[in-house]
Amino acid sequence: MEISTNDYRVWTEASTIHYEGTMRLSGTDAYAPILEIMNSVLSSKPEVITLDLTGLEFLNSSGINLLAKFTIEIRKQPDVGVRVLGSKAIPWQSKSLRNLQRLHPSLELTIS
Amino acid sequence: MSLANVKADTPQTHEPESIGRLSRHSFRAKFILVVSAAVLFDLMLAGGVAIWNVQRLSKDATEKVAQGLTTATEEYLRTYIDTTALRTELLLDQVFSEVEALGASMQTLIDNPKTGAEIGQTVELDPVLGDTLVFNPEADWSQNEPGESVVSVWGYLLDDQGDPLPDVSTQIADSSAFNLVAPGMMKTGSPKLQMYYVGPKDIPIMRTTPYTDQAQTFDKLYPGHNEDNFWDFFFPGVYESWQSWIENPANRPVPRDIVGTAPYIDAITGAKIVSFFFPLWTEDRSDVAGMTAVDITLDQLSSLVENVKIAETGFGFLTASNGNVLAVSDAGAQVLGLVSVGGEGQGVTGINRFLEQSQFPEVAKLELPHNTGTVIDSLSLGTNPDGSEESYTVILKELAPINLWDGEKIVSENLTLGFMVANDEIYASLTAVQQELTEATQRIVNWQIVVLLVSLFIVTLAVYAVSGRITKGLSQLSHAARALQNKDYSVRVSIPTKDEVAAVGLAFNRMAEEISYHTENLENLVEERTRKLETANREIVDLNKRLKTENVRLGAELDVAKRIQEMVLPRLSELENIPQIEIAAFMEPADEVGGDYYDVLFDGDHIKVGIGDVTGHGLESGVLMLMVQSVARALQEQGDRDPVAFLDVLNRAVYKNITRTRSDKHLTLAFVDYENGKVTLSGQHEEVLIIRANGETERIDTIDLGFPVGLEADISPFVATLDLNFGPEDVLILHTDGITEAENEEGVMFGLDRLSESAQENREKSAKGIAEAVINDVKSHIGAHKVFDDITLVVLKHR
Repeated sequence: MEISTNDYRVWTEASTIHYEGTMRLSGTDAYAPILEIMNSVLSSKPEVITLDLTGLEFLNSSGINLLAKFTIEIRKQPDVGVRVLGSKAIPWQSKSLRNLQRLHPSLELTIS
Repeated sequence: MSLANVKADTPQTHEPESIGRLSRHSFRAKFILVVSAAVLFDLMLAGGVAIWNVQRLSKDATEKVAQGLTTATEEYLRTYIDTTALRTELLLDQVFSEVEALGASMQTLIDNPKTGAEIGQTVELDPVLGDTLVFNPEADWSQNEPGESVVSVWGYLLDDQGDPLPDVSTQIADSSAFNLVAPGMMKTGSPKLQMYYVGPKDIPIMRTTPYTDQAQTFDKLYPGHNEDNFWDFFFPGVYESWQSWIENPANRPVPRDIVGTAPYIDAITGAKIVSFFFPLWTEDRSDVAGMTAVDITLDQLSSLVENVKIAETGFGFLTASNGNVLAVSDAGAQVLGLVSVGGEGQGVTGINRFLEQSQFPEVAKLELPHNTGTVIDSLSLGTNPDGSEESYTVILKELAPINLWDGEKIVSENLTLGFMVANDEIYASLTAVQQELTEATQRIVNWQIVVLLVSLFIVTLAVYAVSGRITKGLSQLSHAARALQNKDYSVRVSIPTKDEVAAVGLAFNRMAEEISYHTENLENLVEERTRKLETANREIVDLNKRLKTENVRLGAELDVAKRIQEMVLPRLSELENIPQIEIAAFMEPADEVGGDYYDVLFDGDHIKVGIGDVTGHGLESGVLMLMVQSVARALQEQGDRDPVAFLDVLNRAVYKNITRTRSDKHLTLAFVDYENGKVTLSGQHEEVLIIRANGETERIDTIDLGFPVGLEADISPFVATLDLNFGPEDVLILHTDGITEAENEEGVMFGLDRLSESAQENREKSAKGIAEAVINDVKSHIGAHKVFDDITLVVLKHR
């Protein structure tokens, strides 16, 4: 599955979800298609879901809200592990991704 | 595009010239022209080659024939002249032989004087053969009565009574045998004018047969001859020459005793003659004893050459080595342009027609051959009346030499036989052949041209017929296209062939059908489309109305939200009343209603400044912000000074309200509490900047001081506080990510560094001044680029 625009691209490879570009969508409704992709991966109940954010240069607060809500959803399913890949070079990630770990302490966060 | 435009674009102005079926622009005419030209070229090439070959053949044949004919003609002429020369020599030889025979008889009598005298006396006694002299006292000569022959005795040989002197009588008697022999010889053999005998120089009596009145004629033509010696008078030099021969026979120019004369007019007969002499010798051969002679007319000689017939007008002529033409026909003389002149001979009157005096220069220049065999030459004698050159072939052959008395002495003479024939006549057959060949060639050429024209005609006819079939399809197409142009859409073509034209025809028919269909249905189509458009338009108008209504509703909703947000923000007067801290705030939402929150709560001695950022914008975010503000105010009024508890309670209240309203929003939220030169930070939000009075800048990370509000039911485990000194002239800056993430056109964010620098540079200014300067920097950074997020800045400066 893949969603691609001029600004960003989101696609899945098995249980890994890749994010790339700049996501500045206007609200929850706008992020719904992306959440759909993420939920479909979750519904397949993989052992570990990987969120690869290393190519995501910018994510607005609605996007961060999306990630937080998705983390809470994963937290409700103890069988599904989650791994988040981030980049130190991108300012918003080092600031916001730690909140995901706080939401779901077993979340494996790698900021390289 | 409107229908009117369509009509205006339809090309109607250029009416092409109509192309007739066989106008010179028509395809058919071009086709016929090309094929005809190809055939014409082919025919002309083939015809040209044929004609060229025929002409070459004709030329070659003509050359061969001319060559052969010329060779044959020359061969013939050579043979002919050789034969004629032989005949001439034979004729002369015969004449010579006869005069020699007569001379030999006389010489026999001289050599036998006794018998001779006896024969003479016997003859004289004969009543028929004997001489009966009759003296003519008036003329003073004696001559016999008419008979077989005549004897004349000149005055100086007679005595006073007119009788011959004794020696003369003896001589007469001794030579009377002439009467016996000569008449017979005269009558037989070759044709001769006369034969005669002349006595020795001292007794030059003259005997002649046949009988003529020779003395009377001499008297008339040669007065004085009766007084002078016969020999000296008539033939001066001949006698002496002979005498010299006795001394040395080698003196003879030609080793034969016969001597000829140049032609002259005979005194007796008046005919043009030549004479041949044969000398007689004394018994002891010590002196000349007279001569026998023969005269032949030139006519007789001429008959030889005049019998020469070559072609039509070719003729022969006989000329002496001095160019004097002895024998030629009158026509021949005319051709040669000869002019007769009187002879200068002493004894006899000559007749001269010299070649060199010919009126034609080429004849006058003619060189007679001498020891050079037969000569063939070509002469041009002016032009014919028809303009062609009058050219002749002349062929000359030298005859065997004879002795000739030239009037003074005896010399060697070579007569020359000549033939002359007009080239026209020689080559008449050649000309005829050429004519035949030319005519044949012309005939072939004519036939060739006729065949060529007929072929061309037939081919053109065939091409015309075939082209009609070939171009019929095109012609039909052309007419159909014109009909179509004239708006006759019913036109269709029918092409029976199975070629490309037929394919075009099929395509044409299909197109015509479509055009016809479209044209006829155009109005229906337009009407249908118009109806559809009208329906669509109505729908759009309706939709537009609905949208307007919706917009008005949404706009009203947003107006309400905006009003609420503005209403809850602290008033300027409130801020100015705060004693220790100077506070300035700036807020600009990206949409009508922003998601940013700030508040300043002051209850007399405690200042609490909050800043937050709700996810998203709009009414829902605004309401959430209002909720947060209300709870915060309530808590502040309750006097809860523990920042951790403050945040925990606030989160619980908001979380529960969010759950109830099924909103999926949350917010970051941080507070700054000021009391007695000290600030306490709590809650997770953007980094807090502190610019110290000395210019030092501190950045305080708030990640570990809290957690997003409204996301979790209990955030107390994550909430912490941080205490910092905040003295006079110190500046504290709070902001939302709308400032640091503001992008310029290149996509470069304003960033914390620029914010920090801008605040640091302007720290001397009042809080309001700092806020204005920083916002200016942010605005100039953004430029004309889009503002994505709400921009909120709160500046605290210690008084």
